[in-house]
Amino acid sequence: MTTTPENPDEVLIALAQIATCPAQLGHNLERHLAMLAQARAAGARLVVFPELSLSGYLVAHGVLELAMTADDVRLAPLYDASCEIAMLVGLPLREPDGRISNAALLLEGGGLRGVHRKLYLPTYGMFDEGRYFVPGPGLQPLECSLGRFGVLICEDAWHLSSSVLLAQAGAEAFLVMAGGPTELDAGDEPAGGRRWHHLVGATAITAVRPVFFANRCGWEEGILFGGRSWAVDARGRPLAAVAPAFDEALVTARYSRADAAFTRSLLPIPFMERSDLWRSALERGHA
Amino acid sequence: MRELPPVNLDLVAEALQRFLAEELRACGLQRYVLGLSGGIDSALAAALAVRAVGPDRLEALALPGPTSSRTSLENARLVADQLGIRLGVVDLAEAGRVTAAALGIGEDRLRFGNLMARLRMIALFDRARRAGALVLGTSNKSEILLGYSTLFGDSAASVQVLGDVWKTHIFQLGRRLALPRPVVEQPPSADLWPGQTDAGEMGFDYCDADPVLYWHHEGGMSHEALVEAGFAEPLVTAVLNAYRRNRFKWRPTVIARVSSSCINVDRILPRNPR
Repeated sequence: MTTTPENPDEVLIALAQIATCPAQLGHNLERHLAMLAQARAAGARLVVFPELSLSGYLVAHGVLELAMTADDVRLAPLYDASCEIAMLVGLPLREPDGRISNAALLLEGGGLRGVHRKLYLPTYGMFDEGRYFVPGPGLQPLECSLGRFGVLICEDAWHLSSSVLLAQAGAEAFLVMAGGPTELDAGDEPAGGRRWHHLVGATAITAVRPVFFANRCGWEEGILFGGRSWAVDARGRPLAAVAPAFDEALVTARYSRADAAFTRSLLPIPFMERSDLWRSALERGHA
Repeated sequence: MRELPPVNLDLVAEALQRFLAEELRACGLQRYVLGLSGGIDSALAAALAVRAVGPDRLEALALPGPTSSRTSLENARLVADQLGIRLGVVDLAEAGRVTAAALGIGEDRLRFGNLMARLRMIALFDRARRAGALVLGTSNKSEILLGYSTLFGDSAASVQVLGDVWKTHIFQLGRRLALPRPVVEQPPSADLWPGQTDAGEMGFDYCDADPVLYWHHEGGMSHEALVEAGFAEPLVTAVLNAYRRNRFKWRPTVIARVSSSCINVDRILPRNPR
């Protein structure tokens, strides 16, 4: 599933749908390096990995063993690889004060370009993230040579206000890293994949920005993840083939910074957000 | 009347087979061992395992006791032949009789049934140790929710591939995977004494119980709401009584927490770190 850019403005962004394993850093790192090599061969400039791609998702108190600082020596192979191709990877990030964030690191040119810390930690149903992580402090686009990207880690994307705020802060496109568990119903694809595609489309068309969605697949501790990584443009039109539900896959999608800029000038929807309504709701204590 | 929602059988089968492959990879083992009873649950688990890891990495054991029916062994052979797997036979009849006598079980069928289920567990885990294998469990969601199992007997396994699959869907999967007809069509039985059937013991069939269980366990409907929705009151009462009475089996043991690092309470950790 590869494509080649047709005009000089376009670049390829790769979505690395991998099946991570909790607490098996060596295995997960090997999957990263294999996907990075594949993405380079396909001509991609940036690779987006799923949520907590290095540690696995269902690590629970394992975050105490697995959390790393951004300069951890175990990340050296990724920093090295980032000299050739930019990447967004997920890991439990050990903060200087000892707290642990569910974080995304943007690496490029052998260095760290930015960090996003997950804002919304689901702690209901089968989720228990609030028990192991602290929520991020805020939202700012991350910048690399390809542009300014709004990074959303899984549940962040389920609050459409996240994408509106990022758009207002200058994000040109969204990179969504997901660890989306799924159940199976009567449908032809896992139920979680269907929900995610609604969400990816809604995020793109309401914030008027392309969305690059990398989900994980496979099983962890008896929990199935739904794959179906995908990308759409700012009008919700597909930019890539949909990845399969169960298999690892690398999907590439065209990204034109100029096309994205034109569309958001034409449709300035996020800048019409009635923040006065939010303000008055906050003052009334309703939000 | 509310029904059990359908599932995409092909997708469920494919997902479960990938689960079986990943569990072996994650723990670094090569094989599965399972008890092949001649019933549909173990036949389906075996079929999924063969699809996942191939027939050479699955070892099936028939574990007849002193009162097991001959049909069970015949059906187990049918399944093993169809799937191309080796079927070992460990005759537990003598072990069952000797242990029952030592424990003074006498004519108590329930105690004897539990004893046989636990002897089968011993045989399976012993074989798994010898073969470097995981014990592949065959419990389904309906029987787990109803508690129709022997604690540390048939409920004991390394992985439960069918533990979130309703029995109604097990029957459908069995037909979809073209398991031998006698295996799919026979009434479910633990085969712990002559003539035993699950329905005979519980007082209802799984296909009647499953919608009640689903709408209570997943849909949140109360006893009253279920009866109002059209389910027979005696069925609802019997199903929900079993659901409550046997809930302790969902978590087979409880650790008394006296520290701030209690296992699985204060420290929940991935099972296969490397």
